[in-house]
Amino acid sequence: MKHLSLATVFLFLFSVCAMPVLAADTFDLVIPLPLTGKQAKFGEIMKRSYEMAAEEINAKGGVKGKKLALSFEDSAGKPETARAIVEKLIDVKKQPVIVGEYTSACAKAVAAVAEERKTPYLVVASADDAITKQNYKYVFRQNQVNDHYADAFTSFLKEVVKPKTMAILYESSAFGTSGSEAMERDAKKIGAQVVLNEKFETGAIDFKPLLSKVKAAQPEVIYSVSYANEAQLLMKQIKELRIDAKLFAGGAAGFAIPEFIEGAKDASEYVVSATLWTPQLKYPGTKEFAEKYKAKHKDYPSYHGASAYAAIYVTADALTRAKDWTQDGIRDALKATDLKTAFGPVKFEDKEGYQNQNFAETLAIQVQKGEFETIWPKNHASKPYVYPVPSWKERR
Amino acid sequence: MSSVNLEVLLQTLISGVLLGGLYALIALGMTIIMGVMKIINLAHGELMMVGMYIAFVLFSWLHIDPYLSVFIAAPALFVLGVGLQKFLINPVMKVDAILPENQVILTVGIGMVLANLATIIFQSDYLQTPVSYATKAWYLTDLWKGAPLELSLSFPWSVSFTIAVLITACLWFFLAKTDTGKSIRATAQDLDAALLMGVNVERMRVITFGLGSALVGAAGCLFIPIYYIYPDIGGQFTLISFVITILGGLGSTVGAILGGLILGLFESLTATYIGMGWAPVGRFMIFVAVLIFIPGGVASLLRSRKFGK
Repeated sequence: MKHLSLATVFLFLFSVCAMPVLAADTFDLVIPLPLTGKQAKFGEIMKRSYEMAAEEINAKGGVKGKKLALSFEDSAGKPETARAIVEKLIDVKKQPVIVGEYTSACAKAVAAVAEERKTPYLVVASADDAITKQNYKYVFRQNQVNDHYADAFTSFLKEVVKPKTMAILYESSAFGTSGSEAMERDAKKIGAQVVLNEKFETGAIDFKPLLSKVKAAQPEVIYSVSYANEAQLLMKQIKELRIDAKLFAGGAAGFAIPEFIEGAKDASEYVVSATLWTPQLKYPGTKEFAEKYKAKHKDYPSYHGASAYAAIYVTADALTRAKDWTQDGIRDALKATDLKTAFGPVKFEDKEGYQNQNFAETLAIQVQKGEFETIWPKNHASKPYVYPVPSWKERR
Repeated sequence: MSSVNLEVLLQTLISGVLLGGLYALIALGMTIIMGVMKIINLAHGELMMVGMYIAFVLFSWLHIDPYLSVFIAAPALFVLGVGLQKFLINPVMKVDAILPENQVILTVGIGMVLANLATIIFQSDYLQTPVSYATKAWYLTDLWKGAPLELSLSFPWSVSFTIAVLITACLWFFLAKTDTGKSIRATAQDLDAALLMGVNVERMRVITFGLGSALVGAAGCLFIPIYYIYPDIGGQFTLISFVITILGGLGSTVGAILGGLILGLFESLTATYIGMGWAPVGRFMIFVAVLIFIPGGVASLLRSRKFGK
């Protein structure tokens, strides 16, 4: 018992002494993100990108003379874990700004904690509309919202495809559900009839029963919203069942990362996806970031990476401009952000019922010869689009 | 019924049977362990995960086809299972504990250790074996030009299903015809009687746990060409085999096979006619319904039929 209390006193003293010493020449930023579990792939892309941005900033002298010291906490994509991590960061570590998380469910949980404790939180890649629609003052979102994810894709549909019928398949997650609702509204706007709107379970093995139903409904466009694995399984099984449509499409996430092409192989060919960013964009710094990432990790980053990379720049920029490094000081600086990043221009606005939301331009990409090519809008296009896509029988 | 509807129905049934066959193989391992040891092995899915990683490593390093790695993964898992039983579960069975089911809790712990080891070794990446035949399928209209319906049969799914059936047949032969198999069945039926008849019960437990692990390891190899792996994949398969084991009637092999097929067909039909999002709901509705209405599972129905009760 004596030992225990002595140890506690030492620990306490140590932690009290250690904190200000460490804080002297660095700014510690702990980022919660999924490093294990189903969303680990996205977490990894983002972690690498956060680190690249911090290295670059530190090489140029850091923020107001202090180096950014990043570290990461694994939330495993579980909202309760994410919440606990952030509570600890704010209450114990007194971190004045929170950046990170990936899934919408986690970001929602973190946003609630941050707002409650009046700590600014920068959402990097979580799409659920509701996150910035709750009159939160301290929650900022850099990526586009789900409702607008498919803007470029919808304009592609409207101007090129002009579909009469459409099937929507979506994963039973916050992201999948809000994505399908957005597409349903968009379909109505462009005059397409949604003949089938089906939810599927995350982790499902066999999509063929669902797909036979899609086949029977004969939609002109098949649009799916899901994370990584289901996207690949869906396209593989669509090929297996030889379901022909004029266009196969996906709503970002699982359809817009390199693993989609690696996993689904030839079944991924000609699939169009909405996305928020591509390495082919003409923003300053985009190409440099993409090439540097590829040189280091052998693949181009997805928009998750670009957004994470830019988020560190946005945070550093806010820290530079903030009058003091308190929670409110950083919040006010974030609010005034107007920065050109590799992810695109970042500016937090209040409009359409959203607060502190960055309305970034979205794009449509298509897999052509095993590579993602930007096809829409035309000013960003790297290759002309292929439409209608050849039937499975013709492709052999 | 129009031809389109018929096509959807037939395609759904094909999917259901193929999926059910694979489910049955996963659940068989859990079932025989349940039968002999009277415990639910909650590390079952994690053992399958180990089998899948073995197949993955063999494929990516030595380019061994996942189907051939059944012959490597199954013995490897047998050894792992024997080790687990001998050095972890048997000692715990001998200890008097506050909880009577402390072996079950031990299996949960084993599962967690395996999953976390896999996370350390392989990271939590989603891994696949990109086999060349992944999307190969046979089409009715290719085989028979004038076919009124278009049905397709996936190549990897059919191969996995066929191997699952073969493995099940071998298991049946082993249990019905060999001495060791008979001793295992005797232990499952009546532990004390088997003990009195000179069956080395402890050894049978070790063999059974090894056998159950080998079966699910083989199932892992059959799943890898059509699915993907990540370290936390075990849980969902533990859950599926748990439901099937209950549905089949705790410890009955025939029950497990039928239970697997029923669950596969049920899930496919739900996906087509109600909605794929309902599959997990349906799975647990079956689970609860079986517990309430036929607590002995499918096996008890078969038995009462046979004896004209």
